Amino acid sequence: MLELTGLRRTFGDLVALDDVSFTVPEGTIVGFVGPNGAGKTTAMRIALGVLTPDAGEVRWRGEPVDAQMRRRFGYMPEERGLYPRMRVLDQLVYLARLHGLARSDARRRAEQTIEVLGVADRAKDRVEALSLGNQQRVQLASALVHEPDLLVLDEPFSGLDPVGVDVLSGVLRRQATNHGVPVVFSSHQLELVERLCDAVVLIDGGRIVAQGTIDGLRARRERRRFLVKVRGAGDGWYDSIPGVELTEATADGVVLELADDVDEQRVLDLARASGDVERFGPVRATLAELFREVVGA
Amino acid sequence: MSDEARHERVSEPTRVSEPRPTDRGAWRLVAARDFTVRLRDKGFIISTAITLTVLSTLILLGAYGGGDAPTYRLGVVRVTDEAITAIEEAGAGQGIEIFTVPFGDELVATASVRTGDLDALLLADGGLLGLDTVPAELAQIVRDAAARGRISAALDDAGVAPSQIEELLDRPGVEVRTLEPQDPNRDQNAGIAFVAVLLAYGQLFGYGVWVATGVIEEKASRVVEILLSTIRPRQLLAGKIAGIGLLGIVQLVFIATFAITLSLATGALELPGAAIGIALVVLAWFVMGFAFYAGLFAVSGSLVSRMEELQNAMVPINLIIFVSFFISIGALQDPGSTLATAASVLPFSSALAMPVRIALGSATAPQIVLSIVLLLAGTAALVPLSARIYSGAVLKTGSRVKLRDAWRSAASERTHPTTEG
Repeated sequence: MLELTGLRRTFGDLVALDDVSFTVPEGTIVGFVGPNGAGKTTAMRIALGVLTPDAGEVRWRGEPVDAQMRRRFGYMPEERGLYPRMRVLDQLVYLARLHGLARSDARRRAEQTIEVLGVADRAKDRVEALSLGNQQRVQLASALVHEPDLLVLDEPFSGLDPVGVDVLSGVLRRQATNHGVPVVFSSHQLELVERLCDAVVLIDGGRIVAQGTIDGLRARRERRRFLVKVRGAGDGWYDSIPGVELTEATADGVVLELADDVDEQRVLDLARASGDVERFGPVRATLAELFREVVGA
Repeated sequence: MSDEARHERVSEPTRVSEPRPTDRGAWRLVAARDFTVRLRDKGFIISTAITLTVLSTLILLGAYGGGDAPTYRLGVVRVTDEAITAIEEAGAGQGIEIFTVPFGDELVATASVRTGDLDALLLADGGLLGLDTVPAELAQIVRDAAARGRISAALDDAGVAPSQIEELLDRPGVEVRTLEPQDPNRDQNAGIAFVAVLLAYGQLFGYGVWVATGVIEEKASRVVEILLSTIRPRQLLAGKIAGIGLLGIVQLVFIATFAITLSLATGALELPGAAIGIALVVLAWFVMGFAFYAGLFAVSGSLVSRMEELQNAMVPINLIIFVSFFISIGALQDPGSTLATAASVLPFSSALAMPVRIALGSATAPQIVLSIVLLLAGTAALVPLSARIYSGAVLKTGSRVKLRDAWRSAASERTHPTTEG
């Protein structure tokens, strides 16, 4: 388990992180979500030790993280970086060996990793000769090549085509489920986060504003909304019900928000009384909606 | 790639053998990469080829062209045969060959001076005519010959027997002896030392710049963030310096072996002992000098983010190496001067100056020992400073990093990039 506890970091007057704490348990994929400049990259850099916090600490399996543990982490920085003139396979073998793998293991793992990520046919090419999408795949390979104990990936999906997104999703899922590797990644693709992650951490302005499973966030944050379609009822049939407000009218019906003390069964009764109810059900908030609500944008 | 079967095959748990617990040996991996990448670099192969070509040319020139005693062409207008013979003999006495070309007409002879066919023209009145100048050596010989003629004539007039005159004039006047005799091979050694200091200068400078550009390459491509999330800055720095330095040594040994072999084969060099000795001395001081300078080059590289800014960042260190190169060239003429002696002992310049003084036999044992001790001590003092500034600066991209900021932010082992996210 990776634990970040009470992290604080300032750059001059800017408070990049303010008392940031969250955990990434074994076998769990955690989505790290927040607007640009919220502090995601700073937190990840601190976790990887390329940045020191002003306060707080990072623990791995209960111990403060040191250089030896970090060598077993897999990291994809926000600013991508590889040797542009080095060949793909050579580069991955080199990085695997820096992570402590023996020569033969490093080579085998490098070959496996580019195979999985679909760039095996570019093994002998220089990185600079690859398309951006393929460079991204090699970058991911560099984070995975040494079979890390932990994965910290900053925007790993940006720049990938839909096939690449599927491949990477599969890789992360297997790392977490089959190998018990904790995975934390940041992304602005909230649908993807929703689909892939077991838990999310929402950060805004350097502070954690919400964290937990997506269902848990929904339960806590979700407004009570129902999509209702009543055939034969005039517009505004719900106007007379206290505590019910129209939030959206769509072709599929109207979205009504119910106040906490309103019983949805009573609304259903009134709907029936107004006409034929074709549709009546709760609206599940998407992560994007939860995000907007929490961030207040 | 969406082939599920393939995924399953390769995602089998292939736990690798237990990794080494620390990054202590990581510098060797870094060194091996920096060494091999540059060994295969086109620029390296081309620069080696150019160096070998230039050296071969120098050696072949030394073996087959020039190198003989100087010769002069002296035009004479209406000068007696005795006087001509006297001049030729005086030249031969000093190992200088003088061809005399008689002219009947002064105007024709003057034209030959103008075209450069003659080095000088001896006129009937005893004057010497040159184009813009007359070689001092030649003028002295002509003057001596004339004086000898006059003295001889005067003695003859005074009734001195011709055999006696000859004996008086030819008796060796002053025998030269020295307290510390010069090495008879000094001229040859000076030649070798000149080539050696030129090579050492190119090597120190070129490989130092390679360290700096290597640092910038990693910084600009941002790969440094991945590297430093894996190994510590000191490991990266040590590996880079070791790998590039080793390549410098290999190249220097290769070039020296080539040059000495070619010199022996062509006869440009008769005894290899001195040349090998000088090559070894240059190599030893290159290794120490490179260790001394490389950290500074790495620091210059870590302070900037783009190649274009490197030139400015390297100015101070370039200046130091450049000045010590010039002092060393000067030391070829006067290896015992105070300046040369000081330069050969101080660590900022000894890498180039000391080999010259050793080659010319001018350095004393205590000076050599002091030079080594100071250079090693200087390196030992400089490396931690360089490593700390490098650690503090190498992750900072954007504008040029101030030395003081780099120093401060490296207060802990790890470092702080300026970009926030």
